[in-house]
Amino acid sequence: MKNAARKLYLTLIIIFLYAPIVTLVVLSFNSSKTRAKWGGFTLKWYSSLFSDTAIMNALYTTLTIALLSAFIATLVGTTASVAMHSMQAKYRNYLMTVTNIPMLNADIVTGISLMLLFIACRVTLGYSTILLAHITFNIPYVILSVMPKLKQTNKHTYEAALDLGASPIYAFFKVVFPDILPGVLSGFLMAFTMSLDDFIITHFTKGPSVDTLPTKIYSEVRKGIRPEMYALSTLLFLTVLILMILINSSPKNEEKPSRKSQMTSLVLRRVVPITLVILITGGGIFYGSKNKMRSEEQVIVYNWGEYIDPDVITMFEEETGISVIYEEFETNEIMYPKIKSGAIAYDVVCPSDYMIERMVREDLLAEINWDNVPNIKNIDPTYMDQSKSFDPDNAYSVPYCFGTVGILYNKTMVDEPIDSWNVLWDPKYTDNILMQDSVRDAFAVALKRKGYSLNSTDVNELEEATADLIEQKPLVQAYVIDQVRDKMIGNEAAIGVIYSGEAIYTQWENENLEYVIPKEGSNVWIDSWVIPKNAQNKENGEKFINFLCRPDIALMNFEYITYSTPNKEARALIEDEELRNSTIAFPTADMLKDCETFRFLGNDADAFYNELWNKVKAH
Amino acid sequence: MSRTLIDFVNISKSFHNNLVLDELNLSVKENEFLTLLGPSGCGKTTTLRILGGFETPDSGQVIFDGVDITNLPPNKRNLNTVFQKYALFTHMTIAENIAFGLKIKKKSKAYIDDKIKYALKLVNLDGFENRQVDSLSGGQQQRIAIARAIVNEPKVLLLDEPLGALDLKLRQDMAYELIRLKNELGITFIYVTHDQEEALTMSDTIVVMNQGYIQQMGSPEDIYNEPENAFVADFIGESNILPAIMLEDKLVEILGARFACVDVGFGKNQPVDVVIRPEDIELVKPDKGIINGRVTHLIFKGVHYEMEVMANGFEWLVHSTSMFPVGTEVGLWVDPFNIQIMNKPESEDEEAVGVNE
Amino acid sequence: MNKKYNRFLSGPYVVWSTAFILIPLAMILYYGLTNEDGAFTLKNLALMGSAENLKALGLALLLSFISTVICLLLAYPLAMILAESSMSQSSFIVVIFILPMWMNFLLRTLAWQTLLEKNGVINSILGMLHLPALQIINTPYAIILGMVYNFLPFMVLPIYNALVKIDKDIINAGRDLGANGFQVFWKVMFPLSLPGVISGITMVFVPALTTFVISDLLGGSKILLIGNVIEQKFKQGSNWNAGSGLSLVLMVFILLSMAVMNKYDKDGEGGMF
Repeated sequence: MKNAARKLYLTLIIIFLYAPIVTLVVLSFNSSKTRAKWGGFTLKWYSSLFSDTAIMNALYTTLTIALLSAFIATLVGTTASVAMHSMQAKYRNYLMTVTNIPMLNADIVTGISLMLLFIACRVTLGYSTILLAHITFNIPYVILSVMPKLKQTNKHTYEAALDLGASPIYAFFKVVFPDILPGVLSGFLMAFTMSLDDFIITHFTKGPSVDTLPTKIYSEVRKGIRPEMYALSTLLFLTVLILMILINSSPKNEEKPSRKSQMTSLVLRRVVPITLVILITGGGIFYGSKNKMRSEEQVIVYNWGEYIDPDVITMFEEETGISVIYEEFETNEIMYPKIKSGAIAYDVVCPSDYMIERMVREDLLAEINWDNVPNIKNIDPTYMDQSKSFDPDNAYSVPYCFGTVGILYNKTMVDEPIDSWNVLWDPKYTDNILMQDSVRDAFAVALKRKGYSLNSTDVNELEEATADLIEQKPLVQAYVIDQVRDKMIGNEAAIGVIYSGEAIYTQWENENLEYVIPKEGSNVWIDSWVIPKNAQNKENGEKFINFLCRPDIALMNFEYITYSTPNKEARALIEDEELRNSTIAFPTADMLKDCETFRFLGNDADAFYNELWNKVKAH
Repeated sequence: MSRTLIDFVNISKSFHNNLVLDELNLSVKENEFLTLLGPSGCGKTTTLRILGGFETPDSGQVIFDGVDITNLPPNKRNLNTVFQKYALFTHMTIAENIAFGLKIKKKSKAYIDDKIKYALKLVNLDGFENRQVDSLSGGQQQRIAIARAIVNEPKVLLLDEPLGALDLKLRQDMAYELIRLKNELGITFIYVTHDQEEALTMSDTIVVMNQGYIQQMGSPEDIYNEPENAFVADFIGESNILPAIMLEDKLVEILGARFACVDVGFGKNQPVDVVIRPEDIELVKPDKGIINGRVTHLIFKGVHYEMEVMANGFEWLVHSTSMFPVGTEVGLWVDPFNIQIMNKPESEDEEAVGVNE
Repeated sequence: MNKKYNRFLSGPYVVWSTAFILIPLAMILYYGLTNEDGAFTLKNLALMGSAENLKALGLALLLSFISTVICLLLAYPLAMILAESSMSQSSFIVVIFILPMWMNFLLRTLAWQTLLEKNGVINSILGMLHLPALQIINTPYAIILGMVYNFLPFMVLPIYNALVKIDKDIINAGRDLGANGFQVFWKVMFPLSLPGVISGITMVFVPALTTFVISDLLGGSKILLIGNVIEQKFKQGSNWNAGSGLSLVLMVFILLSMAVMNKYDKDGEGGMF
């Protein structure tokens, strides 16, 4: 009875722990790209995984960082533990307190504090800074697992070894070390695991071209996780599971195992796991290093996550012989400090309109040499004109993508024609509304609804908008950025505020969805390529931009990311007539007549917006 | 010393198919100091733990004061245990440790305070109330463990090798202390040890156990002077144990020599084991004893000399107050009363212990 | 061991911790106490006093407190079961608790979204059984679930390690002295496992207090915790001074936890391992 209750309890806890993992494993076999819909069984993500250089590179970085940092942390941590073990209590307590800091501090504070340090010391953010950061937060895990084992050791055995003529080092390795070995190993394992799973600290301390799996996933949260990630995680998880089962499987109730079973267990528990580890890490490192062979000529690209067809980069590298170092960001606000601090010399960056205005104003950008970008002729002049709102002389930026913000609604859940922002305040749709989780987008909706400019800095207008947003909050199911897409596809909500580019994709996946630009007007945005002032390879950057302006390339990107392209020649190449004439992708001038582009409002206004948004969120 | 307080009836217990107790039967009388003595793994601790309620026997019954307590949980039994490594609660002060059982029984504060004082006085640790457990020496911790048990006024106190972790001098002191305690408290002590000297010093009754069986039960004198088999003889004190043949009543042939003895009833020409304690062998002039030999080793032990004498192909261990230098030719003489004849072991289990260990 | 060697041995770590723990911390302190022009100010610290931030802090304290309590209630029986099972089996079970960490933390939390959504897996199953739907996604309950899910192993392991160290005879002694099962647990076992419990509480409470990912993904960003506020200051507002100031205030709570932990766990007995 008691045993049955225990088993039941254990089972329930294990179900709780493993339900999400089973879910992820199932998703890795889902042929639909979105996690909201089951599209049938497939293995294609597993095969495409191995041809995806970005993911394989990330895997390589993750594994090497985890191994190296765990190894170095084990070395430093074990040494430190041995030293601390016999230290005066006062100093030991002091050191232990310091050791506890990274474990107990918020990850984001640790990450940022390290980044501040690296920037202050003018260390280029990159592989080595990630490694340093990981070692730093790994050492405490090692110390905390070695110290208890040291306390259990009998110090007389060490003295006995010295008495028998051993040198201190010899005595340590022959007598003390075997005793604390389990602690050292579990410390190493813990450090390895932590390093593998960390993304916040990595995020702040990484540089261009380096991505670990977690930071890659983090940047993908914005656009929806690529199913290859599920596949990779499943593979990693299963590998570890098999390793653990092998290591822990011991012959039961055999007091004197026969020589044969001893051999089998040695093979099963030691040889096989070690071989597996060597094979996998070796394979991962080999695979990754294959991709690391680069030519001298390079260009460092800093782009939104999932905002380019990976094949385009390969084609560029093949055609020009310039290797591309590619890094992704999640929001303009994350990108900005990295450019501003100059910690990394990017060659090409793709910010949005208002951010470009800010960067121009702060003199962070270099003028583009148009002689090197002849393909600029393919860009529709309409968008060059529109760019003048943030780049008055068309000197700094080349439009890459544009779009509108509008309402996506599910025809089966909404029975009235929708043409106004007011529907987002209709109590009928309580808990069925998805709002954008960013300050400017949310305020744009509220301001436009009342007929104000979305660049308003009028305190009264903004207070009114704030009150409206607070009033709306109980109706809102969730504030999200890119998950609007998955949630709308999965019929989770009736109405959502969404970018037009996402709308096209959602319609492919769920035919009941409809997109509209409300009659009060909305935000029309442009993301453009710019070149930072401190770029080291400006000409390569211009070559890269020029390449992206080629009609066939722009088309590839459009089809991959589904965000509208300002490239008129590319649009002409679209085969699907319906798509080519889609007013979602290419709205008419009439539809855009009340739409505005975001402007940079200055630091004080930004802070005010943030403060008001905070009020809404905290309400 | 008359009434039977505890009865073990046909107790069997095994762990992982390893039989630890086999059909054990044992009675403990009221106010007795009973010692379970034997090598490790003999089942003595298991017997104690079954009585304490920490193990349930596979079969058999434990009768306590006429009531079957076999399945009674430990907290319902009117007996207390002093554990091997004291098992003091390190998160409590000494006073809190001692008060633990009384608080559970919801005794009044005044009563508890009185008891703590009394118990600490009894174990000679007055004034230790507010000390922490880890500030005490091993001997002091042991006394606290005893105090903690006896304040509950158990009818029986179980002690599981309580002196094992103490040094020699402390062990001897504590042994006397325990005898004093037992006399003051007037309750039954059941004591588990592997140390024969402790057992002989303190006990009213000794139960020698091996491999799950009781080998012999009796007063310390009986056990020492008349071991019933080679195992007991070997385990209790030093002795010369030799194979022999009982030629007829009162005559035994040892190593080809004939010794007079007092035992009868073994039959004729029966193989037996004999035990002769080293202090029972008298060294005399050559040819004045029963057999002749030559001294091969000599050690001064304080009270007596310990010698080894080679005679008839056997190294006899001899304790004597007179000294015979190595190489001296001597005769060996044994009083018939001091020759203890034992049957050869019947079961393999008993034999497995090995007479020649 | 030889003192001379030790001073030498602790060298690398002392240097390392100074360079990568203390100096960065000092930089946060500097940013937290200055404004954008580098002049000294207490304004950033005072930000915590605003109504919104206080609410976010209060909510974060409440949710992480509840999560910690739930973790403790779930983990203690679990640790007891593990501690009582035989050695070879239990080491395997312990591995089972570390294993989920090998699936990425973000992916695991996202998977909960898939499970909990209105039309998610759990509700589909409940629907098939004709049971009422579970509507906790985008509520504080979902955040608590996410916290409990992610931090449960950090509670189980230290308690387990404290429990296996308790001598069985100490428990027996409690029984022997007349305590029933519950009394033995409450008066003997629990106090003795306290170092593990305290370190478990800290290991759960602190990350739960500072998280922003869980509240974002499972709370639909409707629920603002103090972690979200700090994250926003750093990321959306690019206001490092304000972010550092708030972090400094938050660190007070973390220091408090550390002080409590050091008090109850002088010997570091309640380790994770």
